Amino acid sequence: MKILRNLLGTVAITGILATGAMADNHGWSLKKAAEPYAGTTIDVVFLLRPGYEAIEAMLPAFEEETGIKVNIIKHPYENALGEQVRDFVAGGDLDIALIDLVWIGNFAENDWIIPLADVQAKFPDAVDPDLDIDDFFPLVLNAFGGWNDTLYGLPFDNYSGLMFYNRCILEEAGFDGPPETWQQLKDEYGPALTKDGKYAFALQSKRNETQSADSFARMLWPFGGSFLDADFKSNLNSDESQTGLKFRQDLMQYMPDGIVAYDHAETVNAFSQGDVAMITEWSAFYSSVVSPDTSKVADCVEIAPEPTGPAGRKPALGGFSLAVAAQADEAEQAAAYLFIQWATSKANAREYLERGGVPARQSVYKEDGLEDYKFVPALVESWQEGVPEFRPRFAEWPEITEIVQEWGTKMMLGEVTTEEGAQEIGTRMEEVLEAAGYYSGEKPLAQ
Amino acid sequence: MRGQVPRRTIFAFIGPAVLGLAMVGIAPLLYAVWTSLHFYNLTKLKRVEFIGADNYLTVLTDEVFWQAMGRTFFLLGTALPLQIALGLGIALVLHQPGLTLVKTLARLSLVLPMATTYAVVGLLGQVMFNQKFGVVNQLLGGVDVNWIGDPNNAFAMIIFWDVWQWTPFVALVLLAGLTMVPGEVEEAARLETKSTWTILRYVQLPFLLPGLVAVLILRTADTLKLFDMVFTLTRGGPGSSTEFISLMIQRVGFRGFDQGLASAQAIILLIITIVLAQIYIRVFHKEV
Repeated sequence: MKILRNLLGTVAITGILATGAMADNHGWSLKKAAEPYAGTTIDVVFLLRPGYEAIEAMLPAFEEETGIKVNIIKHPYENALGEQVRDFVAGGDLDIALIDLVWIGNFAENDWIIPLADVQAKFPDAVDPDLDIDDFFPLVLNAFGGWNDTLYGLPFDNYSGLMFYNRCILEEAGFDGPPETWQQLKDEYGPALTKDGKYAFALQSKRNETQSADSFARMLWPFGGSFLDADFKSNLNSDESQTGLKFRQDLMQYMPDGIVAYDHAETVNAFSQGDVAMITEWSAFYSSVVSPDTSKVADCVEIAPEPTGPAGRKPALGGFSLAVAAQADEAEQAAAYLFIQWATSKANAREYLERGGVPARQSVYKEDGLEDYKFVPALVESWQEGVPEFRPRFAEWPEITEIVQEWGTKMMLGEVTTEEGAQEIGTRMEEVLEAAGYYSGEKPLAQ
Repeated sequence: MRGQVPRRTIFAFIGPAVLGLAMVGIAPLLYAVWTSLHFYNLTKLKRVEFIGADNYLTVLTDEVFWQAMGRTFFLLGTALPLQIALGLGIALVLHQPGLTLVKTLARLSLVLPMATTYAVVGLLGQVMFNQKFGVVNQLLGGVDVNWIGDPNNAFAMIIFWDVWQWTPFVALVLLAGLTMVPGEVEEAARLETKSTWTILRYVQLPFLLPGLVAVLILRTADTLKLFDMVFTLTRGGPGSSTEFISLMIQRVGFRGFDQGLASAQAIILLIITIVLAQIYIRVFHKEV
């Protein structure tokens, strides 16, 4: 059944793209496609991050051309899921869902969002013949916008974990470049760069999604570990996972005190103030650390891919897609689709990049004149080696991440050993999965 | 007299208040009881089902819930005595005769911490207790204390802010109690003894007790539902060191979306609050 559905989906998309190609011959334009929906207002949640400011700055052009008004509701990341869940449960006003890659299972299984193929079939005149789905990085498109082989959203605010390093500090200490491996970072760079109140490295580990995504998961994958094994049982007490978690404990000696209270802002600030020589952060923070307005070390900032571990590079993967909300009415759905298509389009990718966003379009990174964007080579490399299930993307993640956040922090504080913490997370995680019906066969193993 | 007032008039006066209370207080409470008896997760509404007392059993056997409860009572047990001791001291000073203008200004300034929004207190705390740039470490001679990232220091910081914000409230309530002591009785007592303690214990304390009971009940309820300040300041961390019971309920209900379990936690918390209030009233009113 699933195969049949996927096949039909693929056929539908191909058909629509073919229709799009025909439309191209008939002179498709955004203005014309939006004519029936002029005057429609669409509501969307945005985060307080550079990629959103970039698209907001570009928005007047879209509104002017289409007559569609985009009403932006801003939330910090930590509130964005709750606000959207409440809105969708209550049948609220949101017409577009902003979906972190770990939320997509949740949104899709609750039918809060509509598969892209369905939207395109419903509004064929709105489909841009130049949409070019294949131009998105496949890993990003699949991880951010796809669920169970169905595409729901288009990648909008796209991240890969990168290593940001302070070239000046490293050179002063006699290093030609950043560490290639995590082991080098700990054994060579750590002792040499941690002195006089300065630290070699900071790993953002605050007890929220940062703890589970940026800290805990980041140390699992490069060492060969993972959250779950093939049977969906906890893999956190495997040798590989434990090696990674113990490595994190060892690495803490080269991080600032109180690293468990560091969120992205504190980590980026510490780096920008020159107090920390290296951080592994999302590509989205690039524009902040290279701006002299927000960074004392702007001239010294260099970017590299995250270090490798015994299992390879396995950098952190995160980001958001935009999908049409099922609760929106017909006109709003069409208008929402037009906005999503425009915001993620090839045509706008360059401007989005120049304004501080990180597009997921392969074509834009092949253009000339990107030398100033030092993160591009590392980003492209990372998106070719990333792990889509860096954090499991199923609907139960909101419950599981809370468990990881609690016990992951306890490990870092030394309140429990890595084995005890892993055991506790594993037991609680399996209880959640059991209740969800994964072990009884009621639900298929998601990934 | 009451019989002369038409029943319709009584309903007209009381009715709106009762209706308002029912809508904003009783209906949500009944709904919380209903959800607490169901598997009710906002992200799994297709699977809502009656599960009896399962949520309550989960809460009562959940070590993490009782740890959060213990932490909350530890906060109450440390912050409240400090607030009462400092508040009583301030009230006694302001009760002294003379310096009217200074005392008036002092009374006015006492209102400021109470008038500050909880969430703002938390945000102020984040800045003031910042390890590197915070004014607190500067005032302490440029020390390098990690307030927010260390579990013990973070807890101490929460106690500090709670005491800062609510000592003035205690002081004003106790000052009101002191003004209730008849002047001639206090004067006569001062002629009998020079011991401030004796006057406080035998003359002033009986008048302070009603206020103290009110302080105990209000501060206990406030501490049990303490949320905004801690959420903006530490978000319950580092680890679980400042995860008080209200933060835990919010986490379960609005970050894990398990409204059924969170409702069961809230109902248990409500029961504990009511029992404590009853104990306070019985114990202290006996002494009066």
